Amino acid sequence: MDKTADLLPGTLDMLILKAVSLKPLHGYGVLLRIRQISGDALDIPQGSLYPALYRLEHQGLIAADWGQSDNNRRAKYYSLTAAGRRRLREETAGWNRLVSAIASALNTTSEEI
Amino acid sequence: MFPRLGSLLRVLTSRRNFEAAMNEELRFHIDRYGEDLRRSGVLPEEALRRARMEFGAFDSVREDCREARGLYLFDELARALRYSARLLRKSPGFTATALLTLALCLGANLAIFAVIDAILIRPLPFPDAGRLVTMYNTYPKAGVERDGSSVTNYYERRGRIPAFSSLSIYRFGTSILGEPGSSERRPVMLVSPDFFTTLGAGPALGSIFTDAETTYRTDDVAIVSDAFWREHFGADPHVIGRTVLADGRLRTVVGVLPPGFRFLSSTARLYLPLPSSAENRSPAERHSGGNVIQMIARLKPGATLAQAQSQIDAQNAALEQDDPQANMMADAGFRTLLVPLHADQVAAIRPTLLLLQAGVLALLAIGAVNLVNLLLIRASARSKELAVRQALGARRRHVVTEAVVETTLLTLTGGLLALAVGAAGIRLVAALGANRLPLGTGIHFDARLALVAFAAAVVLGVVLAAPFAWFGIRLQPSGALQSEPRGGTAGRTAQTVRHSFVVAQIALALVLLTGTGLLGLSLERAMAVSPGFQSGHVITGQISLVGNRYPSREAGLAFVEKLVGELGHRPGVLSVGLANNIPFSGANGKSAVAVAGHVLRPGESPRGHYSYGVGGDYFRAMGFSLLAGRFLTAADSRREIRVCVVDQDFARYYWPGGSALGRRLFQGAETGPDAQAFTVVGVVGSIKQSGLTDDAAQGAVYYPYIYRPESDLFVAVRSGVQPGSLQTALRTAVRSIDPGLVVADIQTMDDRIAESLLDRRSPAALAAAFSGIALLLIAIGTYGVLSYAVAQRRREIGVRMALGARPEQIGGQFLWLASRLLAAGSILGMIGAWITGQAMRAILFHVPAHSPAILAGSAAVIAAISFLACLLPARRAARISPVQALAEQ
Repeated sequence: MDKTADLLPGTLDMLILKAVSLKPLHGYGVLLRIRQISGDALDIPQGSLYPALYRLEHQGLIAADWGQSDNNRRAKYYSLTAAGRRRLREETAGWNRLVSAIASALNTTSEEI
Repeated sequence: MFPRLGSLLRVLTSRRNFEAAMNEELRFHIDRYGEDLRRSGVLPEEALRRARMEFGAFDSVREDCREARGLYLFDELARALRYSARLLRKSPGFTATALLTLALCLGANLAIFAVIDAILIRPLPFPDAGRLVTMYNTYPKAGVERDGSSVTNYYERRGRIPAFSSLSIYRFGTSILGEPGSSERRPVMLVSPDFFTTLGAGPALGSIFTDAETTYRTDDVAIVSDAFWREHFGADPHVIGRTVLADGRLRTVVGVLPPGFRFLSSTARLYLPLPSSAENRSPAERHSGGNVIQMIARLKPGATLAQAQSQIDAQNAALEQDDPQANMMADAGFRTLLVPLHADQVAAIRPTLLLLQAGVLALLAIGAVNLVNLLLIRASARSKELAVRQALGARRRHVVTEAVVETTLLTLTGGLLALAVGAAGIRLVAALGANRLPLGTGIHFDARLALVAFAAAVVLGVVLAAPFAWFGIRLQPSGALQSEPRGGTAGRTAQTVRHSFVVAQIALALVLLTGTGLLGLSLERAMAVSPGFQSGHVITGQISLVGNRYPSREAGLAFVEKLVGELGHRPGVLSVGLANNIPFSGANGKSAVAVAGHVLRPGESPRGHYSYGVGGDYFRAMGFSLLAGRFLTAADSRREIRVCVVDQDFARYYWPGGSALGRRLFQGAETGPDAQAFTVVGVVGSIKQSGLTDDAAQGAVYYPYIYRPESDLFVAVRSGVQPGSLQTALRTAVRSIDPGLVVADIQTMDDRIAESLLDRRSPAALAAAFSGIALLLIAIGTYGVLSYAVAQRRREIGVRMALGARPEQIGGQFLWLASRLLAAGSILGMIGAWITGQAMRAILFHVPAHSPAILAGSAAVIAAISFLACLLPARRAARISPVQALAEQ
């Protein structure tokens, strides 16, 4: 559990969009996929996943469809919409800018001032 | 925005599906997680428990999901609605009081608003109706304020006033339609050819009249209304060219008006040309309007009323230069006044209507204040509950939403009831004579009114919730939970607000009552005025000598004499007379009279006087009093020597101090040869000509019928029996002389007088009804607030009684509170009453705008009601048993 990090506010939406961009997933699948692609570093509180999914669907960034799950149960699968793809691109770019800016700020040494 | 709206709509339209799908999805998650846990070696039961636990509170997740889909507001609204409905059901007494208050107050407002809307607000039913104007000649210094327009005016102005795109004249008339003797007299309108052009609403079928159709010989054409066309011609599309029989003359139909065409309040279904002769159109007839013919015009786009007025003034000035009577007209203050048509129609009734609306709004304010007070009291009683709920995490937003939802639920339900009350109210005001007001035929209940009611209910709901919501927000949970046990008294602010509302209520009620008192006293004073003749036992009716049997004044006189003879023999008839007009008939024109030997004083103008031609024994039939000389008799019309009778006002004006008998006067504005002079043979008492409140002593002259013959006649019959029983006798007598004639407008003189007071009686009756409701409301309000005060202070009272306070002291304390509220309310109310009195000046009759007696009386009534209302709570306070009061809690 030491390896897991708390989510920064606002990053959950981004992670969900990323997760469903690879392949349509049901809610539980999203949870597993995020855990997997973050190398088990990020653990999402389970209860907060669904309100986020519903919000993204409400905003038209992801779409939901009912399908068969691997154990033959009906499940709701989420996939990325065109608007969602755009948003993911923007957020990724924004995140990268932020990370590099903060990294460069943190790497500054006294000589560089 | 759109995907969200779409998703919200989808969810709302299939709410049950949404919930089921959500549950299924969340369960799937928990099950799958549990499975994975089992697979990793956790025991099955433990796995499910852990899956559930790690998922978090199921219900709160669902709630968050709903909120994420924008469902929050709807859910909260539904919850608040259920909560409010439950609360309201739990206190049926309060709910019933509130609903009744709302229904009465809103309903009364709706009914009055319907009248205001139809008469004052809605534009006339013509395109661009704001451009329609009317104009009339006025001779204020001669005592003739309004004289209509003359045919000459029309022909002189037509096409010559650049500011008008169209100008026309009209007069109201009646016609006997169909076969002689077979039908009744119907209202018709006589109009100039451009009448419909001016209004902007031409015939739907056929054409308008032509100029060639405006002479007495060529006017045998007609334009019919849509209803007439359907009824008499079966909606025949080829009706043009067919004929209709009116007053015994065949007229060719040239046009059919569109459905819904209505000019002002006219109920005419037949429109005829307004015929005139070359003589009628000559400059000599320019000032002969007599308030019979009215003129309307349409302003050109861009032209203003002021421009049109100055053009008319300029034309009048140019025309009067050649007029031999120019000086006289200038002395009389002659002008042509231009007024917007709509405003002119409603000018007389406007102040009364606005006043009634103000009164009924005051009633609504009283009702609203009452409701706010009741709500506040309930809120205070629930303050602990609210505090507990807030302490348990109820958001303030919830509390406010609930307040707004509760009051809106109340006002909307009240609004629904108010629609019913309003619909009944509209029928009531119609019965009180509102539909006889100018444009009053348009008063009805419609969607527009329902919309107004709905809007008013919603606004009222929010307004009512405002103070409650304010208190809800300010309420500190800890304070509310403690306040009672510790202090035993209610929150000071809340109490002050409740008390100031009672004060406001009393003030408003006092204003309303005072206004009603002023109206009532005016009515009483008006009713106490003697009409100047003995109106009891007189029946009157109107006859128009139409058809071609009355070519000359002699023929008219012959009819008059025959009718007098015929009726005089009927049992019960005491005397019979005819006149070309009678008092209170609603149309009393004045004519110029020149008195021999009277030299105009500087600044004095020749005066218009009521002038009548009378036949038979008119003065005895009407019950005039004879002051000097003799009455005119039937024989005076048959004698060569010209005589007349004047009234006291006339005699006093021209011969103050001297005798009028033997003096001579002339019809018209100028004296003439001796042969045309009328010698005064009698002076009769002055009578009220147009209404009991008519204060002007204008003077009247009565000529023998032959010297002032008009085809419109009124017959008056005095009887020793019930006058109503003579109706049939009147009808048959006229028919036996000429089957082509009809007696219209048969009424007893007393009824005519009563009807003339309608514009005072009905507003007074309505105001009285409003005041009654207001008194009921303040009784409820005062009772509610004091009862609550007593209940709140039970403990305090118990303590004081235990310490030796006497019951009278306790009771007295609450009476003292009531009198303080009453005193404050009365002082405020008196200020309001003073302002109201000022505003009412115009419609008061012989009553000062500030009557101390009425004010004191109103205050006394309110005081009595308030004291009665607080007697019960005060007695309850005095009877509180200290042991019980202290043992509670």
